[in-house]
Amino acid sequence: MDFTLKIWRQESQKAKGRFETYKITDISPDCSFLEMLDILNESLVNKLSHPVCFDHDCREGICGMCGLYINGHPHGPDSAITTCQLHMRKFKDGETITIEPWRAKPFPIIRDLVVDRTALDKIIQEGGYVSVTTGGVPDGNSILIPKHKADKAMDSASCIGCGACVAACKNASAMLFVSAKVSQLALLPQGKPEAATRVQNMVAKMDQLGFGNCTNTYACEAECPKEIKRSNIARMNREFILAKVASEEDLQQ
Amino acid sequence: MKLIQFASITKKIALAAFGLFLLLFLPVHLGINLCLLRDDGGEWYRNASHFMGTNYIVKVFEIVLLASVLLHICLAIYLTIENWLARPVRYKVRTKTKTPFMSRYMIWTGGIIACFLVLHFINFYFVKLDLVQGKYSASIEQVDKLFQQKAIKLQQGELNEKEQAALMAQYQAISQISPEKMDKSQKNMVNLTKEEVIQYCGEDFKHVEPDFYTMSKELFANKTYSLIYLVVFVVLGFHLYHAINSLAQTLGLSHRKYSPIIDWISVFYAVLVPLGFAIIPLWFMFVK
Repeated sequence: MDFTLKIWRQESQKAKGRFETYKITDISPDCSFLEMLDILNESLVNKLSHPVCFDHDCREGICGMCGLYINGHPHGPDSAITTCQLHMRKFKDGETITIEPWRAKPFPIIRDLVVDRTALDKIIQEGGYVSVTTGGVPDGNSILIPKHKADKAMDSASCIGCGACVAACKNASAMLFVSAKVSQLALLPQGKPEAATRVQNMVAKMDQLGFGNCTNTYACEAECPKEIKRSNIARMNREFILAKVASEEDLQQ
Repeated sequence: MKLIQFASITKKIALAAFGLFLLLFLPVHLGINLCLLRDDGGEWYRNASHFMGTNYIVKVFEIVLLASVLLHICLAIYLTIENWLARPVRYKVRTKTKTPFMSRYMIWTGGIIACFLVLHFINFYFVKLDLVQGKYSASIEQVDKLFQQKAIKLQQGELNEKEQAALMAQYQAISQISPEKMDKSQKNMVNLTKEEVIQYCGEDFKHVEPDFYTMSKELFANKTYSLIYLVVFVVLGFHLYHAINSLAQTLGLSHRKYSPIIDWISVFYAVLVPLGFAIIPLWFMFVK
């Protein structure tokens, strides 16, 4: 298969970026999107020019490192997959593919298609954990958790923090990510003691970092590679209201 | 700016709460509007307008409502600017993600409705506040009563010369009233300006309420206005389509049992309320 690639090239965060067009030929339909970029980079290196920088790690769809905005879709046109799981058979032969980095104020571009997603880590640092005293292994079933809650918490916990929700959102809002991280702990008894401070701190950090506000458009849900549901956002709103109204704990300074 | 210190979710909840109040007001407004359709020479409609214009509870709600409208608009603009700033560099390829169509254009449909509100206020609300000249009416019965009272006072010699002259001038003016200023039933004087009301009925009518019935009828007799109103009702429907369900989500109401019901209510509300409003200009365009 042959493709015309329009790729965003930018030397550094401060440098001015531009689109560059590359022709690539003889690509197998079974080639993954990142492998296709590898082939392109190899040819670029052979021509002694700079390869296209892009983030990737496990290439199994579980690490959340890869993230490209392909033809108007974060992670490309397929649903419920990351960019590394996207295959070239999803494209038409001879198609022009435009590849852009995630665009959001809290995600500065490092180089080409690589963006700095430290902002998401900073939100996690504000409360995406439970404070536990380590010790011996607790007895099984010493804390009872209903199955439906365990399932929901597991679904929320499947968020890999790739940032596709931010990239897809017309407001560059991180609500789906934050709500998944709030939900996975709010649903479980271990997360309850810190629930009120957690939601307030994480939302405050999210706002401070410059993410947009949610307008309930649900582009995040449509593009999430892990199919995190919008009900998480509602749960976070609920947790937030409860924390503000009923909790006596205040925001940590 | 202090507003920045509120969390994004707090601001959104406030936006939703003001929106909710506006959602509750619309059916009340619609109910009064539908009185226009009753063929009673505007009796019901005038009574409803009178109630809305004079009742003290309504007056309190009027202030709350105006504040809600203003705050809903201001917050929406503020949040939208924040949202735009969150993505300083736009994508070259526009998003192809499938999302509910209307949810993407709330600020634009809202903007059109806000512009319409200005026109609507000039047409009606500012008349009530006496900022714009409107149309007034007075019932003959009322005027007669007033004349009788004055006549008794005149007989008892309680009126001074100036008042007598005023009464005579008023009597003369009203006896020469042109027939087109009387309505079909010959019971009401209509189409008057405020000055004319005072001229015909005396200073006691200084605080007469505007005749919204005649004004509405005249407004919708104008095809351009009717069309503007109809177009705005369609836009209002688009805006409402993403109102109730979005509001529920923002307030954290999401449940597999009642969320589908909320979605249905949203659709019904977004179709029925604007349709109800649209019936009135359509009625005046095609039936009357």
